[in-house]
Amino acid sequence: MSDMDLFVGLSSALTGIAQEQLAPTVDPLNVKQAYFDQAKTDPAFAQMLQIYAANQSKPPDQIADIILNQSGNAVRYLGRAVMLEWYTGSWYPPASLQTSSPNPNNVVSADAYTTGWMWNVAQAHPMGYSNLHFGYWSSPPPSLNDYTGGGAS
Amino acid sequence: VTETFDAVIVGAGISGALIAKQLGLKGKKVLVLEAGPENPPNINAFLQRFYISLAKVPEIPYPPETFTPPGGSTLTNPGTWNAGRPTSLTLDADNWQDPSEAYLIQKGPLAFASTYDRVGGGTTRHWLGTSLRFVPNDFTMRTTYGREIDWPFGYDTLEPWYGKAEWEIGVSADTADQAYLGITFEPKYSYPMPAIPLSMVDNAVSTGINGLSVDNISLSVTSTPQARNSQPYQSRRVCAGNTNCIPICPIQAKYDASVTLNDALETGNVQVRYQTVANDIVVDGNGRVTQVNYITYAQENGPPTGTGSVAAKVFVLAAHAIETPKLLLMSKNGGRTPNGVANSSGQVGKNLMDHPLFLAWALMPSNVYPYRGPLSTSGIENLRDGAFRSERAAYRIEIGNEGWNFPINDPYTTTLDFINGSNASQLNPGSQALFGSNLVGALNGVFTRQFRLGFLVEQTADASNTVGLSSITDHLGLPRPLITYNISDYTLKGLLSAQQTATTIFNQLGAKQFTTPATPGDPSAVPLPGGGLIKYFGSGHVVGTYRMGTDKTQSVTDPNQRSWDHPNLFLTGSGVFPTIATANPTLTIAALSLMAANTILTTDLR
Repeated sequence: MSDMDLFVGLSSALTGIAQEQLAPTVDPLNVKQAYFDQAKTDPAFAQMLQIYAANQSKPPDQIADIILNQSGNAVRYLGRAVMLEWYTGSWYPPASLQTSSPNPNNVVSADAYTTGWMWNVAQAHPMGYSNLHFGYWSSPPPSLNDYTGGGAS
Repeated sequence: VTETFDAVIVGAGISGALIAKQLGLKGKKVLVLEAGPENPPNINAFLQRFYISLAKVPEIPYPPETFTPPGGSTLTNPGTWNAGRPTSLTLDADNWQDPSEAYLIQKGPLAFASTYDRVGGGTTRHWLGTSLRFVPNDFTMRTTYGREIDWPFGYDTLEPWYGKAEWEIGVSADTADQAYLGITFEPKYSYPMPAIPLSMVDNAVSTGINGLSVDNISLSVTSTPQARNSQPYQSRRVCAGNTNCIPICPIQAKYDASVTLNDALETGNVQVRYQTVANDIVVDGNGRVTQVNYITYAQENGPPTGTGSVAAKVFVLAAHAIETPKLLLMSKNGGRTPNGVANSSGQVGKNLMDHPLFLAWALMPSNVYPYRGPLSTSGIENLRDGAFRSERAAYRIEIGNEGWNFPINDPYTTTLDFINGSNASQLNPGSQALFGSNLVGALNGVFTRQFRLGFLVEQTADASNTVGLSSITDHLGLPRPLITYNISDYTLKGLLSAQQTATTIFNQLGAKQFTTPATPGDPSAVPLPGGGLIKYFGSGHVVGTYRMGTDKTQSVTDPNQRSWDHPNLFLTGSGVFPTIATANPTLTIAALSLMAANTILTTDLR
């Protein structure tokens, strides 16, 4: 299993979004690579992947609990930073997440902004990027499951 | 030899573009001087800057670069810009009066919280598109309510020009919805496009406030006239609900003045010179304007590349309500106009206004699915006029479709709260750090119920709210605008009424309010007589500063927007408004500009 496969599996457990939604088989935007490269700059990255590799057969919530709550602060805050990458498209340095007012350092890429998952869990679309049609806002959106792929996998 | 044109227009925003087009269509030779740079070949360059910026504020897609280096977190020193402009990122207690960060030199006591852009298309590049007409009593505040001053003409005079403006910029609305508080339409008039559909947020508010009254006035939700396409119009697409009218519509379904500017160029009679900063209005001994002098540059922070001057039969200053008075005040003509051009009344630069905006936010009891559709598609307009105006300021209530994006920068803030175990949003009181399906469910449960109301309060025209000249300069050595700003008791009463009305509406809707109190030290917060503060935001509605009137000792232009002092000088844009009323000003700017163009064509350039 490649490090990228481990990263995507780990990301799915943490975010609650299906792997196929995070990293589709046909993935022309490939934002996972940008997130991977950004997260890899953190010294705890290899350790986080190892923990995931050793626990990947467990249920997703149990894996997430191990990463976020049982593996020390370095892995915990890197895990949160990875979640925030997927949700917001921005990189919140793990050190910043340990302060009282965390700030993002950068938008990972334009594609990262337009694929942020916080918009999907709102059953909406990124502000400034929509493939929808005139008048859609008058009717309810598709179900949450249609956006998230039914949860972690 | 100085080049000569029929008309020289300073400013390529909506006012200048509309006038240039009308003159160009009649074969008049027009030169437009624009301080900012030319637009890119398509808007993708602006859009990419928006996507990769952390601070998605209204001005962020547009030049000059807000941060140095671009994409960083250090604000560019406005002293390095050749054509500077304010940014809403310099309204904090620690930087609003710091000239190394804030372009405007603010003397207070409160902060002027609105911004504008200097770029082709002007501030309409990031306007919302709300295209309301004023109501008839807005023109007669003195006569009807004993407050403020009357306009030099009434609604009836402007009515046909509103219609022309709505067709020129492309407004979607239904006259049956808009005929309230005395607003009338010409016989057989219809808007160019049908109304934009209401959002689910709008419909929930509309149903929920049924039967509610404030100040004995029954409240209702009205579809907003919007300059965005409900049908293909002017070769532009139908709105796809990108929820991003401010700062940038990705598909130009929303009108901006670059559309009219292109029309003007297509007449073959109009030229636009960019990066050309008018710095002196030259007046001869007879009081006629003979030429405009300018400075050119090539890079936004580079050295000047030259100077020049242009002559014309007619001159139009359309550089918005801060840069226009600045230019007038700068033009001393070797001492012959010691107080500046067009300023025998002493009124140039006075009566700066905005709509101080009271923002209130809440969670609906059921899902309304915000973050979808245009940023705003409806409002509560009933309180734009009424007997209460003899005592307090009126307001309109804008209903937002963008959740809590404006109030707390959501969905970022709440997402961070639920991932990192904090409670900045107040939506995570247990400061839980969630993951997996619990995280998805928690975020979905709050995002789908968020909404906000914006109360645009009519600000009084106060002589002490001013635009002047600072000794602090931009990169061309020109003075930066010196601003004094405060909020009158009458306006404050309007803000306080807005605060109460927000609570009344939320209670009626069964919505839980989360509006936060003002932070001590915030320069955009008014101290209350009994202690405490009320927070306001800028609405981006820069108004006043060269008002029109019927008394040349009390106004800068006559009712035709012609300078009392200089017969071939027109001053256009929202600076001529004697009062700001409660409507977003752009449609009225457009109507007045078409009126001015007609005057120029039927008198000066006949």
